[in-house]
Order: sequence, then structure tokens, then C-alpha cells
Amino acid sequence: MTSVLISAIKRLHISITPPLRLYSSNVTVTPANTNLTITRKEWAFQPQYTKPREVWIENLDTVEEQKLGLFELHPSVYAASPRIDIMHQNVIWQRKVRWVSWAHTKTRAEVRGGGRKPWPQKGLGRARHGSIRSPLFRGGGVVHGPRSGKSHFFMLPFYTRILGLTTTISAKLAQDDLHVVKDLELPTDEPGYLEELIEKRNWGPSVLIVDDTDYAPRNITAALDNLPHVNIMPVYGLNVYSMLKHDTLVLTIAAAEKIEERILRLLHSDTRQQQRAFQLDQV
Amino acid sequence: MATVLRSQCAFARLFVGKTGQILNNAIDLGVKLAPEPQSALLSKNYSNYAHSPFVTKIKKEQYEYEIVKKPPEWTYVERLLPFNTIPAVTPKETYPSGWIPPREEAKNLPFFLPRTKFHDLPIYLHVTYRGMRKISKIKRIEGDIWLLNDEIKKYLKEKNKRYVETRVQEVARFIEVKGDHVNYLIEWAHTKGF
Repeated sequence: MTSVLISAIKRLHISITPPLRLYSSNVTVTPANTNLTITRKEWAFQPQYTKPREVWIENLDTVEEQKLGLFELHPSVYAASPRIDIMHQNVIWQRKVRWVSWAHTKTRAEVRGGGRKPWPQKGLGRARHGSIRSPLFRGGGVVHGPRSGKSHFFMLPFYTRILGLTTTISAKLAQDDLHVVKDLELPTDEPGYLEELIEKRNWGPSVLIVDDTDYAPRNITAALDNLPHVNIMPVYGLNVYSMLKHDTLVLTIAAAEKIEERILRLLHSDTRQQQRAFQLDQV
Repeated sequence: MATVLRSQCAFARLFVGKTGQILNNAIDLGVKLAPEPQSALLSKNYSNYAHSPFVTKIKKEQYEYEIVKKPPEWTYVERLLPFNTIPAVTPKETYPSGWIPPREEAKNLPFFLPRTKFHDLPIYLHVTYRGMRKISKIKRIEGDIWLLNDEIKKYLKEKNKRYVETRVQEVARFIEVKGDHVNYLIEWAHTKGF
């Protein structure tokens, strides 16, 4: 492995090729692939200043990685600034939005007993008390304790959620943890094949695969059934928490384009009318 | 009262029109509505959906319509539909509103200030502490933010004849300038072509 890497670097130095971005999993691949498809894209909203990001199109039908082509991604979506604060806000929101706390304590009124005055008010030299279930007593009620059914629901502002997606996806791409594959066709339905592929390509233990439809090919669904650390998700399920939870994000070309198209449209449309119903400060 | 009645009539017409469109769920399909006019009891104040005359008045025959593909009238409907995205500006000689279009040569600078989706400059004034603190903010800066910071500092020093304090946020890509310098900053951005 290392010798191959060294030889590859040597070859690069001798021939003085233009600077080539070396992926961690790129070393075994010969760059002289003649049938590369290089896609230059025309977006509805062209990038102004920042250059489009280029990614390799990879395959899943062999364990060894093959570069099928080059693909451009819009910088507004795939080259956003790495806002860790926004990612954190999104993760907190995702955890809280569906969290209902069922912790519960009883007040002095709800604890059984304690209706009678335990001892006379005066004449015994003891402290005055009206109930053995007062919060001062052992086994008494709890003051300001948790009451069950507490919802932690809140909504993060819409464009904070959008920015959460773009910044996380951009961070994944910048850290080489985002891979674009042509399709999800596997030769077998054995989970061992996919494990070997992930091991070989150094994708880390956990992988999130995103497709644009919620119908995946049979082989990949059968293989993923027994791999709890490799998950598959449609584009509409993509979220910050899952992207951060998994080491590698694998998008199909269709998914990458759909994410791009949807986010670009939202970044360039006036959504105030749709958001008006959810404003908190309306009369 | 008359206006209320008219608006409710309008709503009734719209409601009948909507049902056909939603069922089709297609933009390029023209919908011909049944010519039968809606005569709802309009003086009633509806408290819930079930008591609305629209619910009781909708009969089966009202759904019967003919689908005509791309009639010439459809352009008039398209004109009324809301924009999917904010449209691009049509180039003109002058803009009576005073809006200045961005210039192409701004893209060759080492820094860049893109327009917002509403084609405005992302320069804002934040007034806090009941007007005691004013901060001008330049957002969405691309490229060399520190060079841009030096340039606006120099420009504002010339204009104000005093030193102005700025704060650069490199990750969130914005610069905050202490004081209300929004007009100077917009002027500067226009000279650069942003």
C-alpha cells in the first residue's frame, strides 16, 4: 500500500503534472482513464465568485474504486462556510423537537396521606407542622419537581435549517467524507461485499447512503439489512444529525443533483408567505 | 359591508377554481370550469368548516370539467401565479428606483460581495440598546475578508476623518463596523462594482 503511494508520488514529481488532488482512497487508481465523463453543469443560478466544487463519480459494483467521471457541485450548497455553531443548533433542535420528558414527581397534595395535623401546634416543644407530606418531611412531596409530558418542541428558523444542511454537507465534502456514486447497483446481496468495499476504500465504519428515491435496488437493501452501521436514506430524509453521526456520506448523482436543486431554489425564492403562518410574533 | 361581500364572492369563485387545479396537479393543463355561478349565502358568519356553504354546495356536477392542453388563455393564468424563484433583473439603461446593477469586473477582485436573492447589497444597520449602539454589518463576504476589511477601514477613515473600529468574523463571513456607516459602505461597494 505504502510502496504504491510512494511510487505514485514519485511519478507525479517526475512528470510534473498539474496539481492533482489526491484522495485518501485514490492511490490504487490509474489516472489514465480514457473514458472519464466530465460534466460541466449549467445551473439556474450560476455561481458568482466561488468556483464549483469538483468530485469524482465512483462506482459500487467493484470493491476496487473506479473513477467513472468528474462532476461539478454548486458552491452555494457544497462549499458553504463550516459553521459549527449552526450544526450544533441543528443537532440540538433535532434532539429536542421530538423529545417529551416523562419524568414525574408528586407534590404534597398527591402523596398519599398527610391530611391530619401530626401533633398539636403548641405545648410539645416541637416544630409546628400541618402535614407529614410537606416537602420538609422525608417521604413528603417534591417542590417544583419535573411534571410528566413536558414537550421540548421548538422550531429552528427555516434558513438556519437550510444553512445547517449546506454547512454540514460542505464540511463533509471538504474533509473528503462525501462520495458521489453513479448508482447503488451491487453485484451480490452479501453484506460482506459491502463491508469489504468500505474497508478497502477507507470509508470508516459507518456510512450513510443517500438516494433520490425511496426505492433502492434489491441487492443493496438485502446487504444493508444486516449492517447496522451502514444506512440508506432518501433525499427527503437527509438531516444534519445523521450526516454527523456517520463517518462517510455517499450520494448518488441523482441525489446530489436533487439536494442541489432544492436548496438552490429555496436560497433564491421568497418564502416569507409560507413562513408567515409559523411566525411567533403574529397577532 | 359591500367590500366584505365582494371579497367573499371572490373567495367563492376562487374556491371553485382551485378544486379542479389541485386534482390535476399539473401546471400546463388548462382547466375549464363549469359555467354555473356560485351563489352562496354570504351574510352568514361561518364558525367552522362543516357549516360552510362551500361544503354543502359542492355537488358532483361541479367537478365535471374538460381538460384542454395549453390553451392560449393559460398564459393569463401563468401571469397570476406566484414566482417559483425570484426572477433575474431585466437589464435597462437606467433604473428609476436608483438601484445600481452589479458590474462584471467585480468578479476579478480578490474579494467579492454577492447580491442577496432580492438583488440588494448585503449591508445592514443593527441598532441596539435603544439606539445607543449602531453597528453596520457587511454579510456574505467571499474571498479575502481581511483585505476587504483593510479597504473599508481606509475608505471610512477618509470619509469620516477619524479611525473606525471593525470586527471581522472569518468563519461566518461578515464584518461589523462600529457606527452607522451604511451609506458610505454601500457607496464603496458600488464603486467596486458589487
